[in-house]
Amino acid sequence: MKGFLPVFRREFRASFNSPVAFSLIVAFLIFTAGWLYFVTGFYAAGMADLSAYFGMMPIVLAFIVPALTMRSWAEEVRLGTAELLLTLPFGEFGTVAGKFAASFAVVVIAILLGLPVPIMAGFLGRFDPGVLFGQYLGVILVAASATAIGQWVSSRARNQVSAFLGSVVLLLALVLVDRVSSFLGAGGLAATILNWLSLARHYAGFGRGVLDSRDLLYYVATTLFFLYLTAWTIGRRKWS
Amino acid sequence: MIEAKELRKSYDRVEAVKGVSFSVERGQVVGLLGPNGAGKTTILKILTGYHCPTSGTALVGGTDVTEDPIAIKRRIGYLPESAPLYTDLTPAEYLDFMADARGLEGAERKKAIDKAVVSCSLGPVFHRPVEELSKGYRQRLGLAQAILHDPDILILDEPTTGLDPNQILEIRQLIRDLGQEKTVILSTHILQEVEAVCSRVLILNEGSIAAQGTTQEIGLALKGEERVNLRLRSQTPGFGKTELESALGRLSVFGAIRSLALEDGGRFACDISLRARASQGAAGAAAASEASAEAGEAVFKWAVSEGLILLELLPRKLSLEEIFVKLTDPRAGTDGGRK
Repeated sequence: MKGFLPVFRREFRASFNSPVAFSLIVAFLIFTAGWLYFVTGFYAAGMADLSAYFGMMPIVLAFIVPALTMRSWAEEVRLGTAELLLTLPFGEFGTVAGKFAASFAVVVIAILLGLPVPIMAGFLGRFDPGVLFGQYLGVILVAASATAIGQWVSSRARNQVSAFLGSVVLLLALVLVDRVSSFLGAGGLAATILNWLSLARHYAGFGRGVLDSRDLLYYVATTLFFLYLTAWTIGRRKWS
Repeated sequence: MIEAKELRKSYDRVEAVKGVSFSVERGQVVGLLGPNGAGKTTILKILTGYHCPTSGTALVGGTDVTEDPIAIKRRIGYLPESAPLYTDLTPAEYLDFMADARGLEGAERKKAIDKAVVSCSLGPVFHRPVEELSKGYRQRLGLAQAILHDPDILILDEPTTGLDPNQILEIRQLIRDLGQEKTVILSTHILQEVEAVCSRVLILNEGSIAAQGTTQEIGLALKGEERVNLRLRSQTPGFGKTELESALGRLSVFGAIRSLALEDGGRFACDISLRARASQGAAGAAAASEASAEAGEAVFKWAVSEGLILLELLPRKLSLEEIFVKLTDPRAGTDGGRK
């Protein structure tokens, strides 16, 4: 993991030197809060129910995370700094993990800054802190996978725009794929595979406050898989 | 210190480096000289472990760069071509990152950063965003980053591009100073740069080594081909090409006739090469300009004594392209450079 700390510190610092991180955090907060109050009609429903708030999180993250990760490799390649970074005495995985951690930290900050929403709702009704913890853990795990996927797409993209669009499409597909499986009929092999792939399906349990080790494993495995894939993509470029 | 054996590198279908072998001893400053696309940058990328060779081996301190890249990267300071930098940081933050990356801590870290900032005169812009820096400052920040951890080996890809003449002199002096104890490989397409800082030269052309040797040897080979274009008119009737040829034989600095033509109105246009003179390495550029002034004087006196009217005297510097022609074309003898 040589390189993890230096890369993490540089990336994290750089994201707050530019307005990128701030704008994304603000966009995330406005969008999620706006969705809750206006679109789901939180007040009109007369029920202190936050399931809609957490239910849309994977889709929101499918847009917010790519905006953050699109730079990670595409911009390094454009500026030529990839050459600098990859000639430092780091291993590829350490570098990739450092970049991942920096983007992930920004997403986690955004998610945690959204905490006043459920806390405020807590005053209106009775909330189970265990369920809330589960819901937050679920959101953070989805964010981790999305960040790893976004970074991998960025390592394959030629520029930021294609990195962004590619990541959004891939993430939306992974989030929505379980809707497709419902057409195939439950229980079939294809449906099982599609459900298993879906970022949203594994998240559903967390939303009810149920922690299933298989869901946990799914997110950890997806994150690690895409981090390794990114490191491999970067390493292979030396031979091209 | 550095040894390349039969290095080859192909990108897609293009072979950028075609079997290059050379070795660099500790404490040498070696220049890779060549036009764009000669393979200089590719060789440097292989030595720094950024690219892997398609075949052949590159050894740094006895270790193969593809076997233990991290150990080798630790020993190298690298300035990539056109000095890429993170534009979202200030030089202070940037060097901080590099110090992190190089594992420098505490007093040693502060000392290293201060030293690099002074050596590269970055003081005035230390807290300005890189985005706002001029090309010259960016280049110097790139160099500061490369020397930060006091590496034994410095690899500099075109270290002086984008600098003004004063900055070029400063950076060359810095490289010469660093070369006292470090091994330096730099690439350039500027001949004077090689003469000014390098002890050895590798001339590359189309992915192969066209010539290599000490700066003196290469300098001699190139200086031997100093040429002068003359336009003359004779006052003697019946003065023809043969007469001019024999008159040229009496010119003290004469080397050989490259071309000779009789123009309208009895004027001659000729292109002659001057006799080879030894020029001494680093002082080569200054010595050459003095020598060419002497040659001009000799030609002028000769013309007067031969009763010729000198209409034009144009000392011609060989362009790099012509040098390559000379060094790569087997018909034009390469007396100095070892093949």
